[in-house]
Amino acid sequence: MGFNLQLLFTGIGVGSIYALVALGFALIYRATNVVNFAQGDFAMLGAFAMVVLAIDLELPYWLSILITLALMVGFGALFNLAVYYPLRNRSFLPVIISTIGASILLENGVLAAYGPRPQSLDSIFAVPGFSVGDVFFDSQYIVILVVAVVMVVVQYLFFERTLTGKKMQATSQDKEMASLLGIPVIWMIMLTFMYSAMLGGLAGILVAPVLFVTVGMGSSIALKAFAASIIGGFGDVTGAIVGGLALGVIETFGAAYVSVPYKDAFAFLVLFGFLLVRPQGIFGERISEKA
Amino acid sequence: MGHRGNAKGPVIIKSGLFMLAAAVGLAAFAAQAADPIKVGMVAPLTGPGAESGRFQTQGAKLAADEVNKAGGVLGRPLELVIEDDQTTNPGVVLAFSKLAGNAEFVAFLGPIRSTQIHAMAPDALRVGKPVLIGGTDPVLTHMGNPWFFRFRPHDVYSARVIADYGAKTLGKKKWAIVHSTDAFGTNGMKNLVESLKGMGIEPVLVQGYPNNSQDFTPVALAVKQSGADVMGTYMTFEPDQGIFAKQLRQLGVTLTWVGSPTTVTTTALKLAGPALYGSYAVVDFNKDSSGAAKAFAAKYEAAYKSAPDIFASWSYDAVHVLARAIGEAKSLEPEKLRQAILAVKGYAGAEGTYNFDHNGDGLHGYNIVKNNNGTVVFDKHIDFDD
Repeated sequence: MGFNLQLLFTGIGVGSIYALVALGFALIYRATNVVNFAQGDFAMLGAFAMVVLAIDLELPYWLSILITLALMVGFGALFNLAVYYPLRNRSFLPVIISTIGASILLENGVLAAYGPRPQSLDSIFAVPGFSVGDVFFDSQYIVILVVAVVMVVVQYLFFERTLTGKKMQATSQDKEMASLLGIPVIWMIMLTFMYSAMLGGLAGILVAPVLFVTVGMGSSIALKAFAASIIGGFGDVTGAIVGGLALGVIETFGAAYVSVPYKDAFAFLVLFGFLLVRPQGIFGERISEKA
Repeated sequence: MGHRGNAKGPVIIKSGLFMLAAAVGLAAFAAQAADPIKVGMVAPLTGPGAESGRFQTQGAKLAADEVNKAGGVLGRPLELVIEDDQTTNPGVVLAFSKLAGNAEFVAFLGPIRSTQIHAMAPDALRVGKPVLIGGTDPVLTHMGNPWFFRFRPHDVYSARVIADYGAKTLGKKKWAIVHSTDAFGTNGMKNLVESLKGMGIEPVLVQGYPNNSQDFTPVALAVKQSGADVMGTYMTFEPDQGIFAKQLRQLGVTLTWVGSPTTVTTTALKLAGPALYGSYAVVDFNKDSSGAAKAFAAKYEAAYKSAPDIFASWSYDAVHVLARAIGEAKSLEPEKLRQAILAVKGYAGAEGTYNFDHNGDGLHGYNIVKNNNGTVVFDKHIDFDD
């Protein structure tokens, strides 16, 4: 019993990491209809910014978090101007390739600037976690889960209840029509990049104490988060978190009961299954319905 | 100009030409004398092994500088040319073929990762020049490739020392083995299973995991459930080891840990922190293991302001042994160089005393160290004759 509960808790913890990054995917996809393959690197940048601020410059932890998030908002604007904006009138393919290029540039840029040594970042809490019976609850996983849920609620409310959110949705569905209706499309997209960069940075800050800070940390999470997004329904906020959690749990139980070496295969087997049977994902709508 | 038409003119011109010729000849000779002996090096400057690549190239550069300060080899300086292998197999094949395409290179320093050395092995065989390697998969020097020379003791020795120390010195009989599923981890596991079998011990758990795993809970739970009292590990990357160590301790597993060299690298100690306290490891390099090791550590620290790692010591030794072999062979001809490296006996390097056998293995033993609350303490060095 304790064994399964431990697996469940860990699976949910790992899954919420995927979910946080998947949320960023969902946002940008909704606004621009393209997948941002540098989303994982936003997390890496956030984590490295924390290392520089909280460890190298010895600033207080909370202040470091705030500065990091502010920096990430600025970076999102810059990313939009450099990676998306010049290609905004092209099809989705050049933009996707542009984000892949940005991902490579970011990883190697950080490698060149900071060096290859993996860094560790302390958790917000002094206590690493607590045990109930045989089950250990890692405090960082709890924080990640809570933040993921909060961000989903915030995003849901934002998209469904605010005018700006609705403008962003309209922008995503039909840029020309949105533009005709007087929605400042360019600003809506800029805003999306700023917010999703901040979200990525937040994911990086939260994940760093668990996975350590390495240049490749973002891309390995992003691959799973991408699978999670497809399982949940690409572009769907609830789908991102459900897909992420499902993937984390499936992967952890698969590793424990079937095979650890083939752990990564479970995630992608589930992905294949969804692509074959329900390509729009759990919460996704059919393209024909949308049109 | 006043000498034009003078009878002495031709003499002056002739002597002038002679002097010019002599000057050109001298310059050419000087250029030839100063022409560097080029050694190619493939190292992970990017990718997950970039950290080790830094140590590796710094160790090699330090040795090359020392050789050059002492007058070089055969009156010529050594020049290291480094190519990035991206810590991947395709990367290493590309990097090596880029270097090997240039006939000027007399020898090469290969990777420290066995899987990469396997990937470049066919090319190394075709090129037919010495490749000095740090990978510890025993097969590398036993697969009919005469050009691989190893500067770290291979995993049969590490496995024998792990098994010997855990079972005999510490008296533990219930073994769990955790290993990466790459070539390094899988072969290390096989050798450890074999060594334990030689002592009549069957491990209670043998568990592999893929590199760059984000979570080790299933592995840690398997170790816990196995009831093992000692664990031998072959883990490739430090972040993996750090996550595993932390999760293992969080789940309340306190068994004795005897790990492969990555257990006590500077990065592993920093990432895992207290989770690795009390663990043992086999290492090929420890600064307290010999006078030569101590001297190397002092020179490395003076040059780079940081303590050397196992990734730095072997490449340092490799460059020194190569320089010595070139000097002994008095030739850059590959076969003569090969014979000269094989003839190296009793060379006291940072890693230990090099006695090359006919397979190309220079070292035949390991040090045992303990992580004493974050400080690596040397215990003993064990060498084997076979």
